Amino acid sequence: MSSPEALRNQVVLTYLAIVLALLALAGAALLILKPRLGEKVRPVWLTYRSWLVMVPIVLGCVFLGRWAIIAGTALLSIFGFKEFARATGLYRDWGMTGVVYLAIAAVGTAALVNDPFKQAPGWFGLFLAMPVYAISLILTIPILRNQPRGQLQAEALAILGFIYLGWMFGHLGFLANSDNPYGYVLYILFATELNDVAAFTFGKLLGRRQFRSNISPKKTWEGALGALAVSMALPWALQFSFPRFGPLQLVLTGLIVGAGGQMGDLAISVIKRDIGIKDTGAAIPGHGGILDRIDSLIFAAPLYLHMIHYFYGLR
Amino acid sequence: MEEWRYEPAVDLNQSLTERLKNFPRQPDMLQYGIRSVLALAIRAWLRVYHRLEISGRENLPREGSFVLVANHTSHLDTLCLLAALPLQKLHRAFPAAAADYFFVKVPRVAAAVLIVNAFPFHREIHVRQSLGVCERLLANPGNILILFPEGTRSPDGKLRPFKPGIGALLAGTAIPAVPCWVAGAAQAWPKGRWLARPRQVRVVVGKPRSYAALPKDRQSSLEVARDLERAVAELSGG
Repeated sequence: MSSPEALRNQVVLTYLAIVLALLALAGAALLILKPRLGEKVRPVWLTYRSWLVMVPIVLGCVFLGRWAIIAGTALLSIFGFKEFARATGLYRDWGMTGVVYLAIAAVGTAALVNDPFKQAPGWFGLFLAMPVYAISLILTIPILRNQPRGQLQAEALAILGFIYLGWMFGHLGFLANSDNPYGYVLYILFATELNDVAAFTFGKLLGRRQFRSNISPKKTWEGALGALAVSMALPWALQFSFPRFGPLQLVLTGLIVGAGGQMGDLAISVIKRDIGIKDTGAAIPGHGGILDRIDSLIFAAPLYLHMIHYFYGLR
Repeated sequence: MEEWRYEPAVDLNQSLTERLKNFPRQPDMLQYGIRSVLALAIRAWLRVYHRLEISGRENLPREGSFVLVANHTSHLDTLCLLAALPLQKLHRAFPAAAADYFFVKVPRVAAAVLIVNAFPFHREIHVRQSLGVCERLLANPGNILILFPEGTRSPDGKLRPFKPGIGALLAGTAIPAVPCWVAGAAQAWPKGRWLARPRQVRVVVGKPRSYAALPKDRQSSLEVARDLERAVAELSGG
């Protein structure tokens, strides 16, 4: 994976064309709707403008290659965990947060270095073993402090934060070590974000019945099923991303993105609802925090990687 | 089973730039980490590139809060004064930075907050409020304030008259003020230049002074400002 290679790669160029076309189309639609809907378009416009910033950053990482995808994922993990720590109050505990930051950096490093036994990029064994080391360290902190009070909550939050936001999300970066990095990485990014947009659009247009009323009151059955339908169809339409996939793998990919992506969204909503906040932060105008944007990816990316690993191996 | 209590950060719903402009700031581990690493790099750069010399370090109070008062000719002043303090005091030292200059555009805010831990000082309006912030900072033992009572960088390197705000802050309190003189910064990195030249910079730390005996009024404010101005000028050796 390198920049000249990316520029010659058919998969990359096709995704580039699709994304640019979609952004242009959405921009044009917003411009046409603006005089008719007036102020109602404003929040959507804000969301759209943030897409115009995020898309070039993500595509830039893909163009730069393997190290940039892994480093970008690790940075998102770090700032995602920071939001989680600030939302839960864990950020006041410097020992716990420090260990989690270190562990996230270690996950990125394991994805970056070569496997010493196979001479292949990415040390998968160490990557998979990372939770063992991280949890051992996290559980050691209260012992070193000789302090049990309130530590179960801190340990639980730190472990959830690392496993979910650091390690599981880190699988996205590890996909760049596979033998089909562009196809796998670009598909999961594009499909999960499209799944989010589809759920939002179907919900706005057809939404009647609440989906999970106590967790996320704005989500509807119509939106969820509409997004699932789009996500089930998408692997067939973009089959050039993974030429090896047969029907079973295409269906599984659709399910992982369509169902898994929405589970990821709701999983973060559960956390927010229990704490009693609306967004996890305000890093991205019109979207909320970083976690509000990547919530579906966190859930879908690791399932997707392990599906690929089960059927074909990563290399 | 007892329910868990979450205490989200109070500035959770603010964007990063808004959060940087807040004061007091929420403690932030990543911010502290970046600042510590940068401080090491800056200290090395000052020692090598500007051959920084610091004398009179023994005059710095070992504990409690105090105020560093110095002449101001260059952005280097703050960096040199911070380098004169022990590294473990880095996050407890708060240089006052002009709100109208440092706390408007994002790159400067980021530099002021991340590198030197500055707090916004409104020098034109709301001076009283800004002095109130200083008082609250000093009320917390161990905090160090870095103030430039001239109010701006002197364009010709000559010491300008001290503003009475410093007096209002210190008169009638036991908080020590440590006069300092930064020499050579004006030549190394004068106002209006983009990059610093490799000239030597020296810092002289004077003996701490206290104004606990004075009453808290306008007259003693002026007196304290004049006294500190004299003390700083004396350190210049001229």
